Amino acid sequence: MLRRRRRARRIASGPRCLQPRARSITLRVLLVDSDLERAAAVQAGLAATGCVVVAIAAGTEELTRHVRDTGADVIVCGLDDPSRDELEGMRALHRDEPRPVVLFAERAEPDQIEAALAAGVAAYVVEGMAPARVRPVIEVAIRRFRAHQALRVELAEARQGLEDRKLVDQAKALLMQRHRLTEPEAYQRLRRMAMDRGLRLPVIAAQIMDNI
Amino acid sequence: MPLDTQAPARPMLRRPVLRTLRLGFVPLTDAAPLLIAQELGLFDAVGLRVTLSAEASWAAVRDKLAFGALDAAHLLGPMPIALAAGLTGVKAQVAVAAGLGANGNTITLSNALAQELGRCKPPLAAAAFAALVRRRAQQGRRPLTLAVVFPFSSHNYLLRHWLAMGGLDPDCDLRLTVVPPPMVAQRLLDGAIDGFCAGEPWGSHAAALGAGRIALSSGDIWPNHPEKVLCFSTEQVRQDPESAIACTAAVIGAARWLDEPANQAEAVNILRRRAFPRLDRAEIASAFAGMAEGLPLAAPLRFRNATLPRRDQAAWWLGQMRRWGHLPAEVSDSTALAPWRQDLWRAAATRLRETEPPAPSPPPPSPDLPETTR
Repeated sequence: MLRRRRRARRIASGPRCLQPRARSITLRVLLVDSDLERAAAVQAGLAATGCVVVAIAAGTEELTRHVRDTGADVIVCGLDDPSRDELEGMRALHRDEPRPVVLFAERAEPDQIEAALAAGVAAYVVEGMAPARVRPVIEVAIRRFRAHQALRVELAEARQGLEDRKLVDQAKALLMQRHRLTEPEAYQRLRRMAMDRGLRLPVIAAQIMDNI
Repeated sequence: MPLDTQAPARPMLRRPVLRTLRLGFVPLTDAAPLLIAQELGLFDAVGLRVTLSAEASWAAVRDKLAFGALDAAHLLGPMPIALAAGLTGVKAQVAVAAGLGANGNTITLSNALAQELGRCKPPLAAAAFAALVRRRAQQGRRPLTLAVVFPFSSHNYLLRHWLAMGGLDPDCDLRLTVVPPPMVAQRLLDGAIDGFCAGEPWGSHAAALGAGRIALSSGDIWPNHPEKVLCFSTEQVRQDPESAIACTAAVIGAARWLDEPANQAEAVNILRRRAFPRLDRAEIASAFAGMAEGLPLAAPLRFRNATLPRRDQAAWWLGQMRRWGHLPAEVSDSTALAPWRQDLWRAAATRLRETEPPAPSPPPPSPDLPETTR
């Protein structure tokens, strides 16, 4: 509480006072994400590294106030989060607010930039924080975002697999009925058609179903 | 259809298949040249395969363009300057291939403010607004909050210029903030902001929702000001100039088509389908019709004459960035304006037999500033 009040006083007296930040022991992270599951995963990961994490849903409230009230050192959000422009506005438009800088900044390593982009992570460091101190936070965020991404891809693939099986079964049934084939014969014919045209089995099945 | 609004003729077909160009845009009315070029098959006609991705923020567009996840994008006019100077922590060299429109933003104020200002037709005079701000300050009321869409935007600089024309200091007399365009109407309705400067259709949308009133358009501040630009990463231009030229030609073709009044209804339908499925047709149509609050605008959203990127016009953004202390003094004019090149436009225009558009109106002169304390 006291800490927050102190911080609020510093902010109130202008951005200059933010420059030599008091050496805080734990990093304060503001996590902005509307994907609740992902936010929970990132929050747990960061908490495990000893960060104080405040998570909020994106786009709901005024971000500037949250950044100020939480006294955040780092802000982590999705690369495609609509609230990013508001965060960037704080730097140029509010003289008396904390000034977050996007972490793709000069000092980030190219491999980290690439990893962040691929995982869909954007991070901001409030001016005055050394990027090196924030590195572990970003690494955790990247790992958790990536894991979440992989999970989603897996789920989508599983769903697609089911859909594909259903399509193939339907096409097989159609061939069996239309040409009086046994199930293995219908399957053989499907496979041959797929091989002849260089297409995957479900694609051929879909074409057959479309042309009923 | 007049001859020059048709899809580019056969001789343009140089190569049957170029590689796929990844183009990003932010859903706004002035992304129309890109959406129209795709819908009308103009990209196909020049042998280009294009994927268009709707992006949720200007920051995302910038990062993807700077780090190679996009080949080209719809960008705010001052953004190439910010990128060249590395202002947001991201430094990149981009090439402005074409302008995507002139005018097309509104300054929309809350109903409460509009009421305080009394009955007045747009455009609202800067002096009248400044008088209101001063009156409120004398009465000890809270300062007003106005939203723009990005710090390095035409919206921010045109709004600041207009405020300064009335004698206000935008950094002291009121509070400026950033709100993404799709959220401005709701924030105005909630009372989180007192007004905004944003691209269409969001001003018309706010007016239609009853969240506020359009007080003036950006064209009332600088008639026919350049708005968004089509930018390529210089890496893309270097590796495959042919695609950049072909893409620019398709966009010029779309701009020609868009300025034909007979095509506007179709343009509205396409935009609604591709970018604003939740908005009413009328909200999208008013920018094309050049109307605000039921009155015709002096300088409405137009496309064709804005396609030639002009460095002397971009210099106004640069001047404003210096004026408000947004650019370090050591960044030279030539570095900041290097992205504006005309070679891509000229190569594309030659193929379309597009003549150079007439010189636009000069930018507004800066008034004597209330000296800022920075």
